[in-house]
Amino acid sequence: MSEALAGRRILVVEDESLVAMLLETILEDMGCTPVGPAATVDDGLALATDGERLDAALLDVNVAGRQVFPVAEILQRNGVPFVFSTGYGEGGLPDQWRGHPTIQKPFTEAAVRDALMKAMGVAEV
Amino acid sequence: MKELAITGAIDADLAAAFEASPNPYMLLTPELRYAGMNSAYLAAVGARREDLLGRPLFEVFDAGPTDQGRENARQLRASFERVLRENRRDHLALIRYALPATGPDGETTFEERFWSATHTPIHDADGRIAYILQHTTDITELEQLRRRVAGADRKRAINAILSGNVLQRAEHVQEANRQLETERNRLLDMFMQAPGFVAVLSGPDHVFQMHNAAYAQLIGHRDIAGKPVREALPEVVGQAYIELLDSVYATGEPHEGRASRVELQRSPDAPLETVWLDFIYQPIRDDSGGVIGIFVQGHDVTGTVLAAERQKLMIDELNHRVKNTLATVQSIAMQTARSHEDPRSFAESFQARLLALSHTHDLLTRSHWEGADLRAILEHETAAHGPHRISLVGPPVALEPSPALSFGMIFHELATNAAKYGALSAPDGQVFVDWAVSDLTKPVLHLTWRERGGPPAATPTRKGFGSRLIERNVRHDLAGTVELDYADAGFCAEFSVPLDRGRVS
Repeated sequence: MSEALAGRRILVVEDESLVAMLLETILEDMGCTPVGPAATVDDGLALATDGERLDAALLDVNVAGRQVFPVAEILQRNGVPFVFSTGYGEGGLPDQWRGHPTIQKPFTEAAVRDALMKAMGVAEV
Repeated sequence: MKELAITGAIDADLAAAFEASPNPYMLLTPELRYAGMNSAYLAAVGARREDLLGRPLFEVFDAGPTDQGRENARQLRASFERVLRENRRDHLALIRYALPATGPDGETTFEERFWSATHTPIHDADGRIAYILQHTTDITELEQLRRRVAGADRKRAINAILSGNVLQRAEHVQEANRQLETERNRLLDMFMQAPGFVAVLSGPDHVFQMHNAAYAQLIGHRDIAGKPVREALPEVVGQAYIELLDSVYATGEPHEGRASRVELQRSPDAPLETVWLDFIYQPIRDDSGGVIGIFVQGHDVTGTVLAAERQKLMIDELNHRVKNTLATVQSIAMQTARSHEDPRSFAESFQARLLALSHTHDLLTRSHWEGADLRAILEHETAAHGPHRISLVGPPVALEPSPALSFGMIFHELATNAAKYGALSAPDGQVFVDWAVSDLTKPVLHLTWRERGGPPAATPTRKGFGSRLIERNVRHDLAGTVELDYADAGFCAEFSVPLDRGRVS
């Protein structure tokens, strides 16, 4: 079990509360502090720009009928690493974001951890 | 006047030669009236010049009352029409044509005659057809001779005399021509009525020679006959199709297009319409093999292409929903497991939650995922506890799929809790659910779940999954508020949920 993510503040953008609760539970088990969860793109944008420290983010691609990419762009500009979560297959991401760390629903704790570490460039210790 | 026209049209020597010829000749106006004839003709048909001049040919020579007669008249008329339409000589190798005669008692009879005829257009100074010249040979005797001896031993000898079956051959050619004409008309009909679009383009500029009804429909019934594609369909310039036509014309290689997208002006002043076509450009060659035009044929596959796109969208959406549902179930399993140490109670609780989710899915499926009614969801989730113990009072409220699923889970948790610890755990306990919708311009659902007749409610020392699910669902998924009140008289939950929250903006 990696301690590399302990104490990290992770923004969660996910419109379904049950899935958000699952992600929070997984993050808490890894010693992370979940931020949010944001249920809409607007809430996600607000949390991404409110000045609080963010170490990484988990972004649902389709958030209440809107795509999450505006949040992704702001995070990228601010140098905050992030992971997409999606129910769509590989083809769910537009060219701009293809190859970016992504977890597929439903997800395992290991998949969430690995994707976050890959995005953050943290080596497993 | 008509005779003057003849002498005016050809010089006097020629007119004399015409008159003196042993071959029957006559001239028709383009309206098929007699304009002139020579003596041989008058002798052959047994009529006087003054009885014929100026009169319509088909009025003078009635074809007789038989089908054969009508068919012969039709062939004769068709030959004249070909001359007029195609402006060139036409031959009738053999035509049966009855001439009226006067019978022994003065009645009109029809005498069968066999003819061979050549029809030649005669032009005026402007190049227009002024007359049709008919040169006829009466071959009745020859034909009758041939028919009389048919089957007889002398047949071969007589046929030899008649220059080796010339007449029979002529008759065959004539019949073949008639069949070809019928076939051609049938093909033309098929071409015009074909469900696919068809057009014939000629020359390097791709000039429309002919196009069928489906093609006319495709391009909005514009007048394109005789125009180059570039001019007839200006909107296709720049859409690569003219370049394709150029290439087919230059190389002689056909081109096939599959679900090829094109923007077309299908009605005047309307914006361009996008259609998808399967088509083929096939070169048309002359006798020496050179490309002289292009045959265009295909059909509109727009409906199929759009249906395939819709299907892909639906499959993507279905996949998205299934994966999201699986993640939801995963979450329910994980959270339920954390509050149940005993595997049996975990299984019971997990299954009950799964069934609650499934019930709402059933309701939504019935409406093809348009939505579900609030009361129906409440009835579904509380039915197991006996309908007489639950009072449901409120107007119909149509919920969209996502809030419907949320309410399904919420009511399941409330009913389960009431059965375990609240009013439904006591024999006389009851639940009163009342709701109303306020502010119709920006509607908000106010719903109260009130338990009476059970043990006093106690604030839980540790928040269980059920109450967390309710609070999170209302705040997160429904963008509403909920107050949970653990009163001595019984548990009470008050919800306020906006109903017009646009999920898709």
